[in-house]
Amino acid sequence: MLFHTWAFALFFLIVYPLYLALKRTRFGLPWLLIVSYFFYACFNPLYLILIAYSTILDYTVVAVMEKKGRRKIWLSISIVNNLCLLSFFKYAGFITDNLNALLSSLNVPYVLPAPGIFLPVGLSFYIFQSMSYTIDYYRGNIEGERSLIRYATFVSLFPRLLAGPIERAKSLLPQLHKKPTVSIQDVSDGLSLFIVGLFKKVALADYLALYVDKIYSTPDQFQSPALMLATFLFCWQIYFDFSGYTDMARGIARMMGFRLMLNFNNPYLATSLGDFWSRWHISLSSWFKDYVYIPLGGNRKGKFNTYRNMFLTMVISGLWHGAAWTFIIWGAVHALGRFCTREMEATSLYKEKVPRILKQLFVFIFVTFAWIFFRAESIGDAWIIITRIFTSGFAEPHCPALALVLIFAVWLYQFAYESKIRWFLEQRVVRIGIIILMVLYLALCAPSSEQPFIYLQF
Amino acid sequence: MIQEKDIYNTGYSIPVPRRNGKSRTEEVPFGSNCARLSLADWLIVAIILSAVVYFAPMLWERAEKFVPSSDYRIPYDLSSDYWLYERYCRFACSRYETLIIGDSVVWGHFVPMDNTLSHHLNDLAGTEQFANLGADGTHPAALEGLLRYYGRDISNKNVILHLNPLWMTSPRHDLQTEKEHHFNHPKLVPQFTPKIPCYKASFPTRISNVVDRCVPFFNFSSHLNITCFQSMDVPAWTIEHPYENPLGSITFRLPTSDDYERPKDAARPGRGPGQTSLQWVELETSLQWLFFRRSVNFLRQRNNRVFVLVGPFNEHMLDGDILDTYRNLKIQIEVWLQRNNLPYYMPEVLPAHLYVDTSHPLGEGYAAIAKQLFENAAFRSNILSSGSSGND
Repeated sequence: MLFHTWAFALFFLIVYPLYLALKRTRFGLPWLLIVSYFFYACFNPLYLILIAYSTILDYTVVAVMEKKGRRKIWLSISIVNNLCLLSFFKYAGFITDNLNALLSSLNVPYVLPAPGIFLPVGLSFYIFQSMSYTIDYYRGNIEGERSLIRYATFVSLFPRLLAGPIERAKSLLPQLHKKPTVSIQDVSDGLSLFIVGLFKKVALADYLALYVDKIYSTPDQFQSPALMLATFLFCWQIYFDFSGYTDMARGIARMMGFRLMLNFNNPYLATSLGDFWSRWHISLSSWFKDYVYIPLGGNRKGKFNTYRNMFLTMVISGLWHGAAWTFIIWGAVHALGRFCTREMEATSLYKEKVPRILKQLFVFIFVTFAWIFFRAESIGDAWIIITRIFTSGFAEPHCPALALVLIFAVWLYQFAYESKIRWFLEQRVVRIGIIILMVLYLALCAPSSEQPFIYLQF
Repeated sequence: MIQEKDIYNTGYSIPVPRRNGKSRTEEVPFGSNCARLSLADWLIVAIILSAVVYFAPMLWERAEKFVPSSDYRIPYDLSSDYWLYERYCRFACSRYETLIIGDSVVWGHFVPMDNTLSHHLNDLAGTEQFANLGADGTHPAALEGLLRYYGRDISNKNVILHLNPLWMTSPRHDLQTEKEHHFNHPKLVPQFTPKIPCYKASFPTRISNVVDRCVPFFNFSSHLNITCFQSMDVPAWTIEHPYENPLGSITFRLPTSDDYERPKDAARPGRGPGQTSLQWVELETSLQWLFFRRSVNFLRQRNNRVFVLVGPFNEHMLDGDILDTYRNLKIQIEVWLQRNNLPYYMPEVLPAHLYVDTSHPLGEGYAAIAKQLFENAAFRSNILSSGSSGND
């Protein structure tokens, strides 16, 4: 039951009025938990066992830490348990494949059986959210949650369950503590966010996917222009797909009186790679910063250690995205990019003399290049794409001009949003016009096939 | 409610408690764009969109010329254009006394539009009295949906409703197999109840199909895709025509049958006896028969005078038990029609060479059936006598 389906609309139309009626009673929270679990069970009822297990374990760990002390041991139990869950469901196949390759290269006549495990939707997101709760408690940043129902709702809140944003306990739990109020402006804001997200996902991401999928499924059959354009289009596809999902999630949550964090902030207008990561998947970037990069030592122990920590964080971040070498390389490429540009970006020459648009262009080109590894089916495919981009000849790319026009329009909008003419976009007539155009485009021109969100696979 | 000037502030504050009892606040930005509306703005959006949704199809109807001849039938390639079917129903109801409704047999799958049953009936009547509302590729389950949701204008008319026994010749034709199989017009069949065993669409797809029926604008949108973009949605069309302007495809001209290739399997010779093995389903458990009865019921509820045409069916292809079963089935159908006071006609078996296959006649076959109908008392008294004119 994805946000951009009529099935979800039906679900929400049933759930929402009851929620509004119950939200300030003692049944509000249980209702929220029930509907969140129902929402999750629509994908596969067995997933409930996993989320319930993870929830109960972390809740118990914090409760025991509170009562009995020995906090380090209990924190370790929680972290090990969560990482084991992730490893088993997400990385078992990857580990088996690599072990088999190793055995084969050593001429060992044994093949490990494939585990054949499917990754439960949203696992990586709620595991990280749950982990942040135990770690934050351990660090003394938050108080332990007494109510299991409230904690379970925090972990499973349906707007953000499938693909984040990865909320911190210090931000979301207090919102679940107080009786939520839903103002008319909350509903209006939620609708605004939802429509923008729906447009990004259905009208833009799913459209670009048509071309990208065609080219990336058989990259060896296309020439440089098609491969470059497909990579360019994928760059926007993944942004529209994921930020569209997040906008919808935040919109739904806001209609229910909850504020979820901003997850994307016009990342392709970033002027440095560091800036890019402060604008792209903000909830994950900040999670890795707080729970991996800083515990590793951050930038406190000299340049070498800083770069080592940065590298490790980026590679782990890549691995989080998927159990494949392409994601690890993607993380490593970003880490290398940061190595090469961090010092340069700190110089006054770069800061003051290089035009902003040039910086944006550089970051955009680098990020787009890195997406090749993210999108390619295998390292071999990624290599084919890169070599063919630079060595193959010219052939008509047959890239739809409309897709390029739409991307340019969005880029122009974002550019204007961060410029002095933002006042123009804030005019009432412009805002209303934009929403009407988006709705009409969705009704008349949206692709007929419903595609899942890219980030659901992570 | 937040005032207009506050909207572009960074957003809201949420309290963040800390273990030492103190709390601080953190700003949660609204978003990374300006498309943020207030309730009043949303009301304006709702009014404008409602106006567009209501008036756009009406204006489009004025701009897109549609003057069908008496032999008109909706081209096969437009058979999923339910908005056009609805429009044609409206036109036919305003112009013709009698509407002939059915599947590809009524439509005339193997014959040109001037050799169909409606054409020969009009010939015999001497006036333009009969309209061909057949839909190629439909079956009773789909036809029921087509009439229920898109044939609402059919009221107070003479209706010749065709029943094709072909749809009861096997559990597969009758949509009864438990194994999924794809059939035509799944959007038209009931999505939830009665259950169709071979229809395995996901819940979201079923809901989506129900919504499409309930919101006429989506059918209008689908009409644009079918008629302007070769039955593709705009994104898919631009993938096929990357450098063309989609707006350039909007010509306000409805495609006709001439715009599409004729079916390649036209005019196959009829087969001899015993060359087909059929597994007739029981009439009382048949799904297609159930849907046919439902069509009859609501057509009558809309004050139509319903006349049922059972067949034609190529009995030359049947022999032995299969033929006996078919004849027994016909008797049961007849009993039901009589019990429900429905005038009907079962055409006599045509010579074998006048059939293309199990149920489709050639042009001469249609002419013969039209003649038989004109000689049938029930037809004359129920259809011709209640029409504006006839040749009796």
